[in-house]
Amino acid sequence: MAHNFKSDVVVDWCPGCGDFGILTSITQALTEMNLGGEDVVAVSGIGCSGKTPHYLNIAGVHTLHGRAIPFATGVKLANPNLKVILPSGDGDLLSIGAGHFVAEGRRNTGLTIVLFDNAVYGLTKGQAAPTMALGEKTKSLARENIFGKVNPIALALSSGYSFVARGFSFDMKQLKGLIKMALNHKGSAVIDVLQPCPTYNDVNTMDWYRERVYRLEDEPSWDPVVTKDNADSAAMKFQQAYQKALEWGEKIPTGLFYQNKTIPSFTERLSQFVPNYLTNPPATQVVFNKDHYTVVDPEKTFSDKIID
Amino acid sequence: MDLSLTIGGPQGGGIDTSSNMINRAFAEAGYNVFAVREYHSNIKGRHSYNHIRVKEERPRSLRYPVDILVALDADTLYEHMDDVVAGSKVIYDKSFESGDLSQARLIMRDTAKSIKGRLQSENLPLNVIGAIQHMKNNGAITIAVPFDAVVNSAISGGTPTRYFNTLGSAITLSIAGLPVNFTSEAIKQVFASKPKVVEDNVKVVEAAYKYCEENKLSGTTLKSFPKKQRLLLTGNDAAAIGKVMGGLRFQTYYPITPASDESTVLEEHETLSLIENEKNSLEKAGVVVIQTEDEISAITMAMGAALTGTRSATATSGPGFSLMAEGISFAGMDEVPVVITLYQRGGPSTGLPTRNGQSDLLFALNTGHGEFPRIVLSSGDIEECAYDAMKALNYAQRYQLPVIHLIDKNLATTSDLIPEIDKSRVKIIPALSVSEKEDFLRYNLNTENGISKVGYFGKNIFWMTGDEHDELGHVTEDPEVRDRQMRKRFQKLETAAHEIPLEDRVQVFGEKDADLTFVTWGSQKGPILDVIDDLKKEGIKANMLYLKMFEPFPSEFVKSFLSRAKLVVDVESNLLAQASRVIRLETGIEIENAILKYSGRHMTEDEILSVAKKIINKKEKFVVEVLKNGA
Ligand SMILES: Cc1ncc(C[n+]2csc(CCOP(=O)(O)OP(=O)(O)O)c2C)c(N)n1
Ligand code: SF4
Repeated sequence: MAHNFKSDVVVDWCPGCGDFGILTSITQALTEMNLGGEDVVAVSGIGCSGKTPHYLNIAGVHTLHGRAIPFATGVKLANPNLKVILPSGDGDLLSIGAGHFVAEGRRNTGLTIVLFDNAVYGLTKGQAAPTMALGEKTKSLARENIFGKVNPIALALSSGYSFVARGFSFDMKQLKGLIKMALNHKGSAVIDVLQPCPTYNDVNTMDWYRERVYRLEDEPSWDPVVTKDNADSAAMKFQQAYQKALEWGEKIPTGLFYQNKTIPSFTERLSQFVPNYLTNPPATQVVFNKDHYTVVDPEKTFSDKIID
Repeated sequence: MDLSLTIGGPQGGGIDTSSNMINRAFAEAGYNVFAVREYHSNIKGRHSYNHIRVKEERPRSLRYPVDILVALDADTLYEHMDDVVAGSKVIYDKSFESGDLSQARLIMRDTAKSIKGRLQSENLPLNVIGAIQHMKNNGAITIAVPFDAVVNSAISGGTPTRYFNTLGSAITLSIAGLPVNFTSEAIKQVFASKPKVVEDNVKVVEAAYKYCEENKLSGTTLKSFPKKQRLLLTGNDAAAIGKVMGGLRFQTYYPITPASDESTVLEEHETLSLIENEKNSLEKAGVVVIQTEDEISAITMAMGAALTGTRSATATSGPGFSLMAEGISFAGMDEVPVVITLYQRGGPSTGLPTRNGQSDLLFALNTGHGEFPRIVLSSGDIEECAYDAMKALNYAQRYQLPVIHLIDKNLATTSDLIPEIDKSRVKIIPALSVSEKEDFLRYNLNTENGISKVGYFGKNIFWMTGDEHDELGHVTEDPEVRDRQMRKRFQKLETAAHEIPLEDRVQVFGEKDADLTFVTWGSQKGPILDVIDDLKKEGIKANMLYLKMFEPFPSEFVKSFLSRAKLVVDVESNLLAQASRVIRLETGIEIENAILKYSGRHMTEDEILSVAKKIINKKEKFVVEVLKNGA
């Protein structure tokens, strides 16, 4: 019997919250991928979105505000055989966690980041998040937003993520597909998910998005994937993705912006230095013998420190 | 023999290499060495030096004055002009004699001012000649060597200055009376992978010895002893080795002095050689070392790795540790086994980045918001750094909490010759875990000792949250569950206090019925052991209460020991006498005397001894003495 990926914890998001669609897309993707409950780990930060791991019947950590990425990186690097998914907010990932977000692009570890993008800080009652446009005035703000906006797609591309996509929480079919692709991608993936927050963001509502979003995959010529066979077109595909990243307003593209399968993942890079890393990673290494003493020969390992 | 020597020169000028040569040459001849590195937070040019002590038995501390001072630049002569006395030998390049103090631009402004004052007070010229005269007036024997000419007599062409560190070391060793073959052997080890460099440097060594012979500088030939296989380690090396032996397979760090070297050593040895008969059951192993984007990432990444069952750790010093506070609190709340090796240096803020400090004790005990259990332990010599690193990993696994291992900068960069590390001294204690795919309650409240079983990502399904949680790991704000989880977490500390042997928490050295009791922790252990011996020779009985574990604190033992002590003096490298404060808090006992040092330099045997005698002889109450030795 297929594993049931939904936990029995009561979901306490507001009625109508876009988070529900993301949660459903995640559970459907995992079910369709036929994974076991132990194969995937969910790591989140803090926020409404950060509660997601409790709602999933897989191992999960609801970490500190902004720290989902380094936590998840530790999990993945210690056991590269795990699939690691990060359901977390725009405030979490792009403000307090922005440094980690950029660093993870450079590493390309193989994480699947699902960015719950509601343009507000939900759990702290509606302050402007980094994805809210300059001058925007939602009902929760005392005055209009005086910060400029981060473009998550452009930032992810610039930071080096090798899989960059955008979903819409009410288009679960597309989102589920993107999550599956991301989980199968060897490098790190960012899926920016447009997530209406009916409680605090009365500007970017479900209807507002519905009128604007369109799917990139519906454009017949759209081809965002770099493989070994077409590696020389990587720069062109990157530019094309960047151009699409700048499209925002009357029309908002969703779908896969860019995927580069030729960039080695961090785990592949590590395996060049650490023997048998992929087959015998830290998490599975035996560290002591039957008498509980180390299996490492310190004299041989640290022979350069010996005077003889 | 008990030889003290200082070799100084510009940072980046090969001081480390010369120290390495001297250490290895003496080690080859069967002696023990203890070498301390002092340097500015600077890459090239500013004054750096090594202070080395050589003995037949193991030296445990430094002493002033030094017997030999080797100056590889003029600054060294100024900086150390008060480190020498009657009979000390001072070696320097003849060309330095034309130097003027006003040209010594890399001497710190305040230091230059103080040197100027000292020279002026003796009516000496403000130049190298003045400094040399100052040393001569104090009875030192100064030896000007034409560095260029000696190097040129050995090798033609090339840049003579490149060989000055070898030359200085070789002259030192010749004056000390060490036969040339040991020095040449040391050169071979130091430049092991570069035959041409070995060849040239050996020529310079031979020329140096010849020069000393011709100028009647060579010392009486020293005895040599059979050498045992031993390790030449710094505290950074020792901690790295201990971690690997303790099962570490994942280490994170963000670069910071003096912690980064530990991670570099781990990275250099990331491929582990396994014991022969263990191989068949195992595939080749390795340690993963990750340089993170900051310390926030370092601590949380190590925690993520720990959740897969990997023994994980990070290493940092004060500023980085500050950034780790939030993560450490999470580890306390969520019972994540993680080791933080905290290399203390002079603070606050970036403080004295390359100098010693012991001012993070109270911070280590209180880091993080909220109340949660942790273990805080400290090492006092290079061997302890290794064994404690192994134990720290065990504690983290056994009690499922953050373990903070304090090492001070003095230990981090001191080189010590130690016996090989005994694998069988510390058993590896695994965590109490459930089997694969077993359903379990990660935060089970039904335990006798506060320790619930663990599962691992990849093997089990369980949840964690930094919020207060129920037994499954889901968020709860229920008052009763909150109370029970809080008490369960703290119960682990009581369990630890029962299970960890007392000698791993506190030790007593010296006379039973002592007139004077030292209380200390960290790198003062060595100097005080030496002082206890010195006092014994003078008929004074002294002992030391040496603190190793601050949480859980061995309160009962400390209380009963100190309440019987006659005259107690606390010795530490900080201003607040932080260990005294902990003792007061834990036992109610107030220690009134203190010997403190927060200049960032090593405490030396001689300076502690002189204050100790003062306290005893004058029977002054409430002595607080601040030590200042060191350049
Ligand atoms: C270090 C820290 N600072 C502040 C907070 C308070 N806090 C809780 S949730 C949150 C904002 C979350 O916003 P976002 O990531 O956009 O997620 P959302 O709630 O919108 O899903 C903040 C600032 C915290 N928990 N930790
Ligand atoms: S505040 Fe907004 S984001 Fe949070 S649960 Fe409510 S609707 Fe969703």
